[in-house]
Amino acid sequence: MKRLALVLALVAFAAMSLVAADKTVLKFLYYADSSQAGYADDMATWAKFKAANTDIDLQMEILFDRPYAQKLTAYAAAGTVPDVVYMWPTTNEASSLLQSKKMMKDLKTVLPADFLANFTSASLDPSAQTSKQLSELPQSFTFTTVMYANVGLLKSLGLSVPKTYAELKALVPKLRVKNVQTVLLPNADKWPAQSCLFSTISGRLLGDAFIDNVLAGKAKFTDKAFVDALAFYGQLYTDGIINISNVQMGYGDGPGLFAANKAAFIIDGDWRVGAYLTDKSNGKALIDPAKQASDFELLNFVAIPGEKNVNTASAIAGTGLGINKDLSGAKLDAAKRLLMYYYGKEVQTVKLETGAFIPTRTDVTSSKLEPLSQKQIKYYSTVPKTTYVLDGALDPTVFGPLNDGLQGIPLGAQTPAEVAALMQKAQDALPKK
Amino acid sequence: MARAVRNRAETNWAYWSFITPAFVLYLFVFGFPIILSFVLSVSNYGGGKMFGGDPWSLVGLGEYFKLANDSNFWLALKNNIYIVLISVLGQIPLAFVLAYIIFRKIVRWGEGWQAILYVPAIISVIVLGIMWKMIFASNGLLADIINAMDTQTFLTSLNGLLANGLNVTDDFVTKLLAISDPRALTGFTNPLADIKDLILSNGYTTQNLEVFRSDMVNLLAPKWTPDFLSKQDIAMIPILFVTLWVWTGMYIIMFHANMQKIDTAIIEAARIDGASELQVLSHVIVPNLSGVLANAAILCIAGSLNTFALIWAMTAGGPMNITQVLAIYMFQNAFIGVPNFPLANAISVFIVLFSFILIGLTLLVERRYGGRE
Amino acid sequence: MNSWKTAVAWVGKGMAYAVMGLFSLMTIYPVIWLIYNSFKTNAEFMVDKISLPKEWILSNYVGAWTLGTFDMLIGNSVIFTLVSAVGIIFISVLAGFGFAKMPNKATAPIYGSFVMGILLSITSLMVPLFIQVSQLDRMISDGFHALGMFTGHDVHVFYNTSFGVILIYVGSGLPMAVYLCTEYIKSIPTSLVEAARIDGATYFSIFWRIILPMSTPIATTIVVLNVPGLWNEFALINIMVSDETLKTLPLGILRFNGQRSVDYGKQFAALVIGMAPMLVFYFLFRKQITAGVSGGAVKG
Repeated sequence: MKRLALVLALVAFAAMSLVAADKTVLKFLYYADSSQAGYADDMATWAKFKAANTDIDLQMEILFDRPYAQKLTAYAAAGTVPDVVYMWPTTNEASSLLQSKKMMKDLKTVLPADFLANFTSASLDPSAQTSKQLSELPQSFTFTTVMYANVGLLKSLGLSVPKTYAELKALVPKLRVKNVQTVLLPNADKWPAQSCLFSTISGRLLGDAFIDNVLAGKAKFTDKAFVDALAFYGQLYTDGIINISNVQMGYGDGPGLFAANKAAFIIDGDWRVGAYLTDKSNGKALIDPAKQASDFELLNFVAIPGEKNVNTASAIAGTGLGINKDLSGAKLDAAKRLLMYYYGKEVQTVKLETGAFIPTRTDVTSSKLEPLSQKQIKYYSTVPKTTYVLDGALDPTVFGPLNDGLQGIPLGAQTPAEVAALMQKAQDALPKK
Repeated sequence: MARAVRNRAETNWAYWSFITPAFVLYLFVFGFPIILSFVLSVSNYGGGKMFGGDPWSLVGLGEYFKLANDSNFWLALKNNIYIVLISVLGQIPLAFVLAYIIFRKIVRWGEGWQAILYVPAIISVIVLGIMWKMIFASNGLLADIINAMDTQTFLTSLNGLLANGLNVTDDFVTKLLAISDPRALTGFTNPLADIKDLILSNGYTTQNLEVFRSDMVNLLAPKWTPDFLSKQDIAMIPILFVTLWVWTGMYIIMFHANMQKIDTAIIEAARIDGASELQVLSHVIVPNLSGVLANAAILCIAGSLNTFALIWAMTAGGPMNITQVLAIYMFQNAFIGVPNFPLANAISVFIVLFSFILIGLTLLVERRYGGRE
Repeated sequence: MNSWKTAVAWVGKGMAYAVMGLFSLMTIYPVIWLIYNSFKTNAEFMVDKISLPKEWILSNYVGAWTLGTFDMLIGNSVIFTLVSAVGIIFISVLAGFGFAKMPNKATAPIYGSFVMGILLSITSLMVPLFIQVSQLDRMISDGFHALGMFTGHDVHVFYNTSFGVILIYVGSGLPMAVYLCTEYIKSIPTSLVEAARIDGATYFSIFWRIILPMSTPIATTIVVLNVPGLWNEFALINIMVSDETLKTLPLGILRFNGQRSVDYGKQFAALVIGMAPMLVFYFLFRKQITAGVSGGAVKG
């Protein structure tokens, strides 16, 4: 009996402890990396929001990487998705269920039209999201293939910046005698080779139409053209442009090696600019601003033999915040205020200045950008047309074997034809729409 | 008489009130989730609200058949068995022998060794995973060490070729290519001509041989890559090694402490009668510690099924899924990309069954060989 | 003959030193390596991972400590670890007493189920566990609302409460602990319990005055086996808690550590912060811990 009373007391206690004052509770799942240079500024913007909105009890959960993925999946599995969620536009990340099951509101029906008018048209395109609605408002438009170049290093060795594949290949022995790798592409985590390089190769050699045809059953991955694209990717390794050790190098190792003159180029997404900028917490930068200006460039990948779509690069709508579709009344109003604050000019300027991303909000500019961020904006103008990022266009069961294969081909464990066959098999196994 | 009845009733009441808290919690944490897991594995539940969300229903054992036809699943199971084997047949015998060596004072600083070897057991797997990843990485510690050795070998051969100064002939370049890493040459269409051109165009002379040497080391010396980590079965070796390393220390302490409880007079007597250390070990120590050994085996198997976090931190099951174990395979289906809850739960249910089989085997062995109570 | 034996002994000795030396080196070096690299700038670490820092900097620790809110997380870790360990001991000694000293037909199946449970890994049951916990909370919440209590708020009993975390931590440690306790208590002479019964003691007072004190060795074992795991646990608590003020140290470490993260300096500082308390604890209480591990000798 005593024990029962104890349990009841505990239950009541637990329940009581959660009863706050009469505020609108807003549960918010956010995504942030504490080791990023802009983290402290990011937290400061949220503290400001809380101070300015005392009627909202903002219950913020900040996670990163794997813990974020686990938690969000658990939420989605149990149907307890928070009110506002940081999420991805397609199914390639942990927020996939929110998109594929349409668990979020269409933001076009929530945010005022004159507010949305501040954003680029590409970011408002519903067809860029798996749910075919504006489930999240992409805060950035992400270019996934950027060839960061250490032009200063090339110059000091008497070499010039390559424009074509042949010129790039000719650099290999000249760089190698000085113990410099030509192109870094750390790929132990599997997605970088696909997202940051192969998507662009496929886009240049085959184009989006080919992928659309495969999805519609009118073409196959086993077609010669696609197998050839995979073979070309393998050639980058046999030609020595990418050193085989990259296959098992952790994604985190790239920027340091690149900044330390260990490679002439690194292929990475545009989001990685932030890694090289000054960390306000200790005033140190991986590449200091003067060097960023004089020695480094962001380039479009070199022209490859037989490319149909000249100079295209892969790009995809970026991450952003979405609102749970069950929200209404005061909660919805609070969520709306949060989004309008986050996507407002002030916060987006902080994001721009800390190198987090280049906002899709068009009226955000800053005179305080470090040189590499300025070069990032300039880089966008060198890409005439964008192409699919494959993990955003294909089903996870299909790009899974592709990601594996992009490790297997350089290691000699798989042939391009085998990888293509596995992809087609997975594609055929999908339920027909 | 009445007292006996009252006594029995009281014993009964005490029994239930003593075991209920444990049993209820056990059901809460393990029992119901297992049942729920089984239900989900035979359903088409795809997430969302369980009640009042998208309708879902039971559809049968389809996911289990899918598993049986999935080569990844069998690979994961095989790797899991490797880990169980290295745990039971590696950690325990190794720890036992080392504990005996310390116990018999065959080596010095026994206390110190024990203290150090136990440390891995208390460090977070997050830390362990990161440390080992850096050691086995293609640009990690192991690579640095092996590259330094390879470079030395290459330099010795190169110096042999340069005994009479630098003289760039076809013959010289051919010999140079012979001592080079074949993988360094794949980028050249005609290595002989291309390398010769390169050497000539860089204008090396006998005066700057040092530059020539270092350039050739960079260009042609073998570079080690941990490509054994991409071969099935072999890729498991570092993981098995780390598994062995993490827990052996704990068992050393466990065995050593219990050896100290054995009456040393028996051992001394056996030694005086001419028994070797090995005979003492097998005839005196092992029988005395059979209970501890059985307990250690159970702990060991439990630990080996929980290596998920360590492997995840080291390789995440890669490259190409060849270091996958069942728990990672489950995890990938539940938490990566579009979750497949029925399949993930089918794997979970299988892991539970696999555990039951293992514990059944252990208890059988214990009953057969350990029964000295 | 004798010299041959001596040679074997020497080889054996040599191998023993080699294995222990290698394992010790493998333990000590990475830990020291991690510690000194946490004092390097990120840029220096990227270039040189092996040598000592050219300049020892503290900013990694300052940054990690403030950004990671570790002062709060450490407090939570201590509370969850201690309360859960005490809970596991109390409940499992209680159950062990029942199983070992009170004959009952239910013992075979129930105790058997605990033994089976030893091998279950809770990580593989995370999704169903979360679904169960959140559905239970929803039912309780709806119940309160129907009674007109706490309307307008979700009521949480299991999810996102310390109570829920401790419940699950205790539950997950029980199978092994119940097994160890039962086997241990079996070795306590039954005559002690019977004598106390004849003197008119209740079972609870026997538990409190005889069984619990006599179980100290096995309780130490349980503490030693469970504390490192509880201290380092991150998967369950990440799922079961969303409130930042309820999170623990390992979750703080993970905030610095992802595949897209680039700042090794802060990452390593965070790792050292997470590792240090356990190491200090271990070297302070090494004797007791060693004794604790050996308590697993229940039938020795």
